[in-house]
Amino acid sequence: MTAAIAMQMFGADFLKLRKRRGTLIWVLVLALLPVMILFSVKAVQHSSNALKYEPAGGTPGFTDGLRLLCLFFGPLSAVLIGVEAGTGDASAGVFRDLVVTGRSRLALFASRVPAALAACWSVALIGYGLVLLGTFAFASNLHTPDGALIVNGLAFTLLSTGVVCAVAVGFASLTTSKPAAITALIGWQLVASPLIANISSLGSARDGVLSQALAHFSPVHIGGGRGATVAMSQGTALVVVAAWLAVFLALGAWRTRTMDA
Amino acid sequence: MQAERAIETSGLTKRFGERTAVDGVDLLVPRGSAFGFLGPNGAGKTTTIRMLLGLTHASAGQMSVLGHPVPAERATALQRVGAIVEDPCFHPYLSGRENLRVVAAVRGPEAAKRIAPALARVGLSERADDKVKQYSQGMRQRLGVARCLLADPLLLILDEPTNGLDPGGIQEFREMIRAMVEQEGRTVFLSSHLLDEVEKICDAAAIVDRGKIITQGPIAELAEGGSRHELILGVDDVELALGALAASELVREARRSDEGIRVILSGTPRDAAQINAMLVRAGVGVARLEPVRHSLEQRFLQITSRLDAPVERQEVQA
Repeated sequence: MTAAIAMQMFGADFLKLRKRRGTLIWVLVLALLPVMILFSVKAVQHSSNALKYEPAGGTPGFTDGLRLLCLFFGPLSAVLIGVEAGTGDASAGVFRDLVVTGRSRLALFASRVPAALAACWSVALIGYGLVLLGTFAFASNLHTPDGALIVNGLAFTLLSTGVVCAVAVGFASLTTSKPAAITALIGWQLVASPLIANISSLGSARDGVLSQALAHFSPVHIGGGRGATVAMSQGTALVVVAAWLAVFLALGAWRTRTMDA
Repeated sequence: MQAERAIETSGLTKRFGERTAVDGVDLLVPRGSAFGFLGPNGAGKTTTIRMLLGLTHASAGQMSVLGHPVPAERATALQRVGAIVEDPCFHPYLSGRENLRVVAAVRGPEAAKRIAPALARVGLSERADDKVKQYSQGMRQRLGVARCLLADPLLLILDEPTNGLDPGGIQEFREMIRAMVEQEGRTVFLSSHLLDEVEKICDAAAIVDRGKIITQGPIAELAEGGSRHELILGVDDVELALGALAASELVREARRSDEGIRVILSGTPRDAAQINAMLVRAGVGVARLEPVRHSLEQRFLQITSRLDAPVERQEVQA
């Protein structure tokens, strides 16, 4: 397969995601609205009682915004996009029409991932822009992030949403069912992950929780979500993230290659 | 060098657990023809097509498409194949043109250039930018054909293509298929349970029942079934004619009918001329001599109604 065809396939998969208006609206709402609400509420609180509530922006606001975007709502948006990319062709019945072109099924699977990442990161970038806007607009007398922190924050935003999105593409391609994939991934993200992270008796087994591993790459301390923080080395976190990616992308590719179309 | 057969299968078999959906199918589809794959619902037509296209694996047997063995050279084989399997499906929230762009992207750069001509060919240029969810069933079928044309196909595989079309749409569709075969030299492999459709569109056909090919060959020969040939005679003296016919070795049976005399020939329809000459020599005035055209429907019903009988294999040279 030539680079030109790969680019065309990426463009086609991105088109499918871009035109999926219903999903896209939910993705934007999930990624942007909580950040807007966070800064708005904090700004109102500060203006009503400046002694009790610190300004909404500055580095504390940046940290809160990053936590919200990268550990909670950004990944939910990433799940919606990843699942759409992973199941869109199969659920529309179009997958077999792509298979009968003779193009390798692995190529069909592979083109979903960059398209999903492109859509996911477009939204994440807008979300990060909002975080920065709130951080600087409502900083008042607080310190604001320097250039390095802003760049690192951006990298972390792309990493945390991108990994979840890629895992969602793989998982959704494995299940081929949109409702099942969304339910399972959001359930894992919102319920199971924090629950497991909070069960300290599980010890190092908790290292395997993706959101905990991802949180280790944050440039500011944001914990692992819902108050729990699992201690692990940067190397362990890297292995965990790589393992999640490898396992689910491999499973998605295997299912796409072997399923009856 | 082009292979002589567009599709060739040998012993093609598909099992789903204990059930055998396709049972040792030997199929020969000549190039440049419209070939019908005729059988009742559940006969194994779609499963056979899905195996040919690599949508599902065969349990046993060999197959080749446009001379390339499948699945070994599936990618090459399918480069010049367009197919509609069951109902044509699309992303409903994309326009017709965007749906074609999606498939063209997978096929390669040349396919993208064929989008506009393909839409024009099926008469969808004006509605190409409407969302597919606003299309009628007939328009979706036509868009499905347009999608096939992106491959500039040497072979079109169409599974029940007239499902959901109104009579006008069916007629239009038949004309389009015939034009593809006669004017463009493409091969069309058309699966259907509609006898009329196959008889009107196709040059040759295979009849499949319970996963087995019962017979295949040119439509006319299939309709005749390779068995008896009949004539209807209109004569001025029926008694004299019956007497002459009874004495002839060319005639197996002759009897009165509403139309005159019905004659079952011992040999081939080419003997009709000799029978005419023989009757004239016997002093019988022959006003009408007409071969009885057996319809494919009669033959199809004759074959597929033998549901409890062992399946008889019969092959006619395609």
